[in-house]
Amino acid sequence: MQQQPQALQPPFDNTLSRARRSVELGLVLLAGIITASAYVLASLGERASMPARIVPFMVFVLSLLVVTHVVVRFVARGADPLLLPTAALLHGLGYVMIARLSDHWAGLQATWSLVGVAAFALTLFFIERPSDLQNYQYTSLALGLGLLLLPMVPGIGFTSGGARIWVSIGPINFQPGEFAKILLAIFFASYLGQHRMQIARGDKKIFGYTLPALEHLAPILLAWAVSVVVMVGEKDLGSSLLFFTLFVVMLWIATERTSFLVVGVGLFAGGAFIAYKLFAHVQTRVDIWLNPWDQYTGRGYQPIQGLFALANGGMGGTGLGLGDPAAIPAAHNDFIFAALGEELGLLGTTAVLAAFVLLVGAGMRTALRAQSDFDKLLATGLTTIVAVQTFIIIGGVLRVVPLTGVTLPFMSYGGSSLVSNYVLLAILVRISDTTARGLHEVPDEASLSERFAAWRTRKTDAKADAS
Amino acid sequence: MNQRIRHLTVALIALFGILFVQLTNWQVLQRDTLVADARNNRITVREFDKMRGAIVTADGTVIAATEPIDPALRPNSRFDFQRVYPTQDLYANISGYYTLGFGSTQLERTHNDVLAGTTAQQQLESTGGLFSKEDLSGTVQLTLNNDIQKAAKRALGDREGSVVVMDPITGAVLAMYSNPTFDPNDVVAQTGSVGQTLTALQDDPRKPLLANAYQERYMPGSTFKIVTTTAGLETGTIDLMSVFKNSRSWTPPNTKKPIRNYGKKVCGGDLAEVFRRSCNIPFAQTAVNVGPVAMVDAATRFGFDAKVPFDLPGAAASTFGGTAEDFTDSLALLAIHGFGQGQVQITPLHMAMITSSVANAGVMMKPFVVQQTLTHNRNVIRRTNPEAWKTAMSATTAATMTQLMMGVAQSGTAACCLQLNGGISVAAKTGTAQLNAEGEKQRSHAWITAFAPAQAPRYAISVFIKGVNDAVSASTGGRLAGPVAKQVLDVALALPPSK
Repeated sequence: MQQQPQALQPPFDNTLSRARRSVELGLVLLAGIITASAYVLASLGERASMPARIVPFMVFVLSLLVVTHVVVRFVARGADPLLLPTAALLHGLGYVMIARLSDHWAGLQATWSLVGVAAFALTLFFIERPSDLQNYQYTSLALGLGLLLLPMVPGIGFTSGGARIWVSIGPINFQPGEFAKILLAIFFASYLGQHRMQIARGDKKIFGYTLPALEHLAPILLAWAVSVVVMVGEKDLGSSLLFFTLFVVMLWIATERTSFLVVGVGLFAGGAFIAYKLFAHVQTRVDIWLNPWDQYTGRGYQPIQGLFALANGGMGGTGLGLGDPAAIPAAHNDFIFAALGEELGLLGTTAVLAAFVLLVGAGMRTALRAQSDFDKLLATGLTTIVAVQTFIIIGGVLRVVPLTGVTLPFMSYGGSSLVSNYVLLAILVRISDTTARGLHEVPDEASLSERFAAWRTRKTDAKADAS
Repeated sequence: MNQRIRHLTVALIALFGILFVQLTNWQVLQRDTLVADARNNRITVREFDKMRGAIVTADGTVIAATEPIDPALRPNSRFDFQRVYPTQDLYANISGYYTLGFGSTQLERTHNDVLAGTTAQQQLESTGGLFSKEDLSGTVQLTLNNDIQKAAKRALGDREGSVVVMDPITGAVLAMYSNPTFDPNDVVAQTGSVGQTLTALQDDPRKPLLANAYQERYMPGSTFKIVTTTAGLETGTIDLMSVFKNSRSWTPPNTKKPIRNYGKKVCGGDLAEVFRRSCNIPFAQTAVNVGPVAMVDAATRFGFDAKVPFDLPGAAASTFGGTAEDFTDSLALLAIHGFGQGQVQITPLHMAMITSSVANAGVMMKPFVVQQTLTHNRNVIRRTNPEAWKTAMSATTAATMTQLMMGVAQSGTAACCLQLNGGISVAAKTGTAQLNAEGEKQRSHAWITAFAPAQAPRYAISVFIKGVNDAVSASTGGRLAGPVAKQVLDVALALPPSK
């Protein structure tokens, strides 16, 4: 009896984890029902008939949802119950719109959905403690920068839609930047988690302002500078803005020095101005943003079609399958929000915005509750990525900011985006689960690898005993 | 850090607040402006991209139909349906076209409600429910016969002109082909260049979008002598006993400019002879003798200067080229108009109607191309009943005219080229409309109009070949248009009689 591990001692209370998982299961099934209903409605609207493959579709959706839920139940039972269902709802609605637009894209997106869910499960299996990631601080940096640079490599990198952000290896095309953002967030969280006090305190005083020592700031400035230069070089303005925001926000949160935020915003304004003066493609973007109506037959066509779609939807929408979203170029990708706006109306788009706010809220709750600096910073960083990326693309469609080609998380067509966002979600789930264990809300049972190690030890001991 | 994370969360949610405000702006506040924007064709597209009925000929040949687009072949098509015209350019000026954003023409326009399925009767036959996309599109069935239409196109070849074939008893148009024409498939393609294609067609000096069979009018030349002769017979100015002396030229009253016969020949004889040889002077004299009032009256009874009651839009009206007062002031002008020169202008369709009235005991029927319209259940929405338009002449005069016109085909200007298969009797009149002033280079349209069989008419035809080149201008109506009429009539007469 004395050899029994500490964690398994009573009280062995699973009430809270069970409650959380029941909520999650209920919400996941609800997301599945909403997705299936939307799928049926879109088909009725478009063809006045039930979808031909409704049964395989529902089996597919339900098995994906149940599998993800079961994975969470087994390896992250204390996790926040809102993260997965919210993402599943957005993913489902996005998929219905893609399927309504084109069978071709829908088939590919279904495959990517499968890969995305597999990536979610594998991430949860492999990352048993978020702190494990801290061991890979500089590996993350090197990998992240490497992935960012990959599209610049002649032969495998290629340009599509004006940005050189694609890599083609064999039959697979992907956007490495989608994964680089997670790796850089891990690096920032890890580095800032260790050095935040030094950076915040500063060493030198110049004109009454304490500056951190260059050696403390250098790695992070380097990471930021390289990523921004690469982004400008690859003409991917949306991602550039995303990285910059991620960097400034994490620095601010880590050091708690508002002056960094002010300087960051100032740097951004200056950088944006210089980029506008230097680069024609930046001027073009701004020009389309300010005067789309003057170039309706040219570059203004897509944003204006997006606005027409939104207006056509109005308050209640045309109904799924009854609008004309195919009139918008790239409706399945950058402009999927406008396509949803046409068929679901303001009511539907508000619901989608609310789902994103819920997701961001759940992510930030995870950050607030997290017990270590690293976990806090990583959860904040990852959630900021989702929130800012969502804002950049929806804001671009709504002409709040200049349109830059980033995907709408979980909704847009695209394998890289979907898979990377599921990896991101899995890390958030892992952080919230670890927090719950740390707070003793759920029993901190041994993880799979710990059980495996224990089994190995017991075997070795048994051998030793026997000999 | 938590304090800052809370601030950050508030800031991020505020960003979503901005999105919500702007979303409300576009979807609610500015909605009406955006929906009303001329460049926003979403509502037009919804109306456009639907199942649409077919236009078929009397023998069941489909000339316009809508096909669902196979998503496997065009995966990213914005549209579900594609309008097609299987007969390509053969019926372009009858069916018209149906485009997105560039309007529609001809039957596609006038019968849009039937084709789209929106007439009250079609709506009443609907059995659909809330989610139903029941196909209510109707069918427009024409009087045209594909065999005759194809024969008309083949006989005309690449010459500019037209062929119109009618049933003289009912007014039903059995063939109506105009060249130049166009392929409506080119302007219903959904690939962006429709505007350019249409502009090019509109700017083409040969005017392929206008059917020269009924949307343009031309100088009739000697075919107009049917009208002058009728006027002379009806007023008693001339009869079959009338003899016109041989003459080379004749100077009408109030002018010093003499009138000559075609080819400056000496021409004369009794009415039958001058009619079949198509002398000019006897008809100039007849017109002057009949007088301005009675000539204008005769032209009016033949439907000149009146809107033709045709069921295709944009039909041009023929014109006699002046009022009774005008001709009283200038009898010389009346003399010239008496043999179809000067300001007289006529559409080839109207020419066929004039001939039909001779064949139909003097009664001119309203021409029509739509036999009937049907719902998706094949119930008749509207059927065209033959109706008389004008009484051009008495039955007695019509019989006399038939006799005169048979002479043209037997031993007159059409004898060379209008001997029908099986020796079927035919009545005809040729015309060579001289467009050049005297002394200028010869330029002329070639005409022939006829009906057959002469004693029990089934078909009336008018063939018009436009004088656009030397080959046409150097020949005569009989020699150029005659063979076209023979080819078409031979095909038509070989068809079994309709019930």
